[in-house]
This record gives sequence, C-alpha cells and structure tokens, in this order.
Amino acid sequence: MNARVAMVAALLSFGVASAVVSLHAQSAPAAKPAAKPAAAKVYAAKTPWGDPDLQGVWDYKTITPLERPQNFGDRQFLTDEEVARLEANAAKRLDQPPDETVPATLVHAPYMTDPGRKVDEDRRTSLIVDPPDGRVPPLTPEAQRRQALRQAGNRNGGTDGPEQRSSLERCITMGLPSGNLPTLYNNNIRIVQSPGYVAITHEMVHDTRIIPLDNRAPISPKIHQWFGDSRGHWDGNTLVVETANFSDKTNYRGSGATLHLVERFTRSGKNNVEYRVTLDDPTTWTKPWTIELHMRTSEGDLYEYACHEGNYGLHNILEEARDADKAAAKNASKAGVSE
Amino acid sequence: MKTILVVTSAAALVVGVADVASAHHSFAAEFDANAPVTLRGTITKMEWINPHSWIHIDVKNPDGTVTEWMVEGGTPNTLFRRGFTREAVKAGMEITVEGYRAKNGANRANGRDLILNDGRRLFMGSSGTGAPIDGKDAAEAK
Repeated sequence: MNARVAMVAALLSFGVASAVVSLHAQSAPAAKPAAKPAAAKVYAAKTPWGDPDLQGVWDYKTITPLERPQNFGDRQFLTDEEVARLEANAAKRLDQPPDETVPATLVHAPYMTDPGRKVDEDRRTSLIVDPPDGRVPPLTPEAQRRQALRQAGNRNGGTDGPEQRSSLERCITMGLPSGNLPTLYNNNIRIVQSPGYVAITHEMVHDTRIIPLDNRAPISPKIHQWFGDSRGHWDGNTLVVETANFSDKTNYRGSGATLHLVERFTRSGKNNVEYRVTLDDPTTWTKPWTIELHMRTSEGDLYEYACHEGNYGLHNILEEARDADKAAAKNASKAGVSE
Repeated sequence: MKTILVVTSAAALVVGVADVASAHHSFAAEFDANAPVTLRGTITKMEWINPHSWIHIDVKNPDGTVTEWMVEGGTPNTLFRRGFTREAVKAGMEITVEGYRAKNGANRANGRDLILNDGRRLFMGSSGTGAPIDGKDAAEAK
C-alpha cells in the first residue's frame, strides 16, 4: 500500500520516546532483553459526552516489517544509520521507475503503490512486540494439518470457481486483523464514535465494523462471520475491542474460527493513535502474540474502495483458467489421435 | 565489514516488507511474466475503478490497422493520492506502456511502467515527489 506522501506530522510527533529509542540504537545494537512494551502515552481528548476521543482518519502505513528479519537476531531497535538507509531505499522504490531488481511478477510496480516511506515511530525491527523474538509463534500441529487441508481443497488459490479465490480477490473482506495492518495501499481507517458505539471503517475493501460498548452479551458461538463479532469497552483512555466468532472461510496466517483478538486503541497525541492487537488462537499458535504500530492523522480523507465495481481481475483469472483447460483438452485430444 | 552488514540488514528488511505486503490479486493467475509487451498508443478510455484502474488504448499496427488493448494500473485511491485526477489522464493522450501480456494471449496487459508522452509516469506524481499536479512544478510543463 503506499504514499500519503510527506510524513512531516509523523516525524514531528516522534518526540521523547523516539529520541530514547535512537540512543538505544546507537549505543546498543547488540542483543538486549526484550523490554515489556511501555504503556501508551495518553492524549486526553474527550467527546462531548465524555468518552476518550479517537475520531479521525488514521494512517497506519509503515515500512517496518511484521516479523523481525532473521539477521537482526534478537535486536529490538534499528540504528540511526539503518533507519536512514531503509527510508532512502523506500523512497527510491516509490519515486523511480522499476529497474531490474523489481520482479516481473508484481501486480504493481512499487511506484504505483503506497506502502509508506518511514519506519514505525518506535524504530523497532519488527511490528511484533511479543514474543520478544519479534516473530510469529510456530503453528500447532492442528494448524499445520488444517493448512494442508485448505491447500489440498484449493481453498486459496484454485481456479475451478470463484469460491476458491481469497476473500480479498473476491472483494469480500480484507479480514481482521489484516484490515488494520500495513499492506501495499489503502492503509487507513476512519473511527467515528457515538454514545455507546464506535464504528471503524477500514479503507481496504471498505469494511465497517460497528462495535457496541454497552456490555451486551456476545452472540452465540454457533454463529461465525467474515469479520467476527466485536465488543468494546474503555480501559481508562484506551478503547479495548475483543473480537471472536470468526468464519473459517477466511484466516490470518493460518488462524482458525477460534481466533480471538484483543485490540487496544489509545489516543497518544493530537495526531496519533497507538494500536496494539493480541492474537490468541490455541488451535493455531503455540502462544498468543502481539503487534504494535503507531497511526498518524491521514493527510487526506478516507476514500471509497468499492472493490466489486470493477473487479476484472477475478473474471480474468477464471477466464485464463478455462482457456488453459480448453488448450489442455485440445492437446490431449491431439495426443489421442496421434496414438 | 560494518558497512556490508548494514547493507545486508537493510536489504533484508526491505524483503520483509515485500513479504508482508500482498497485492489484491495474483499476477501469476492472470499474466505471463515471460511475455513482455511494449505498447504505444492513444488512450481511448480511462476506467477509474476499484480495485484497480484500467486504461484502454488504441495501438496502431504497421499495416495501419488499430488494435484495442486494455492495461491494468494501480488502485484509484493511490493514483489520486499521488496527484493524478481525472483531468490528468484523458482520452486522446498518447501513452507508452511496458508490461506483461495476459496468459491466454488476449489484448490485455499488466502495466509495469506507464509513461504519458509529456514524460510523466502514471502514479508517480509530477516530479517523483508525490506532489499534486497543480501547475506549480516546472516539470509539469514539459
């Protein structure tokens, strides 16, 4: 996803925390124990009815990867030099035509995308803050079997019909937590509040979830939905959203319908919201894990992404597959005649 | 030695980003990376549609006939954020497309590099800075 261009606001908002981080990076590139993530800074904006105010269009794009690249070992923070180099490389990819280092198999050349130019403001080597190695915990044996079955059934990647394509290709949903994690473009959400509810619109595939804050009971565990079912409450100035009841038709990195998310949104500055999500699914991962990133006020509005309106891609994929079937049948027929 | 290590780690992080980022749909199911095409033609229609834009062009063949092609580009939201509006890309403009053809040989391509005849690259903004095309950039006049 990839350039609400100048991130001046983000840079200005780095403040004390990033200054401390950069000291770490300069003086201690060697291994250091993973610190317990500090509590988010709080910016005490309130709605007219007294709830913490998270409203706005928030931009979460960053070039910091989800998982820490192996060569960083257990180092948590980038050095100043690494930040400068990574951001220069990101800018170059966005501002120059594709060269020979850009694979042909990308749907979009990098300059047509909008994934950001900056590392996350905390300068970590990964968005995953727990476990301390910055990597997704291993899949359980059950999850490995489930993934194998999904692949055998061509649940994601077959071309017999649209049902075998991903929910993203079908313009159904980006899913959760994917709809709040950096991708090639559309890295924005809009938060709107009213007494008793918070609504979050995710620009990618234009999903909106309406989250009740009134402690109502969760829906039946027999009901499974593409976007799950969310309940919210305030923990001080932090909005806590718990989501369960996911459908098995979509998954995030192999998760099952038993995925349980705990998201935490904290207004950390006039133009900043800290986002944390803990993923727990005992059928999928050997332990829960947590992602943290820092959103900024978007430079522009949230735009519609009416993905269905011109989804020629899905049509083309299936047309290509049918043409390939015909060609294969013709070849088989020819082979039969020649025998 | 230290410099080499830094370069390595920076490259690895970029690769990491590529792993995280996923496109809306599969390239391999639709286009042939071994069938590069270069098309020079006139824009007949620009479809500002989600999830991806499509540019229709008429390409003149050496024998004088015209072949219609359609070329896939970036998502409209990104295009707009990079400064392109519907005023910036109109029917009648000349364009050069470098891309990859559909696997079944249809006159359809994925646009890897889209260059208008005034030198501007679609999606890149007026001078590569992402600045809106507003007439304030000297490069826009070219």
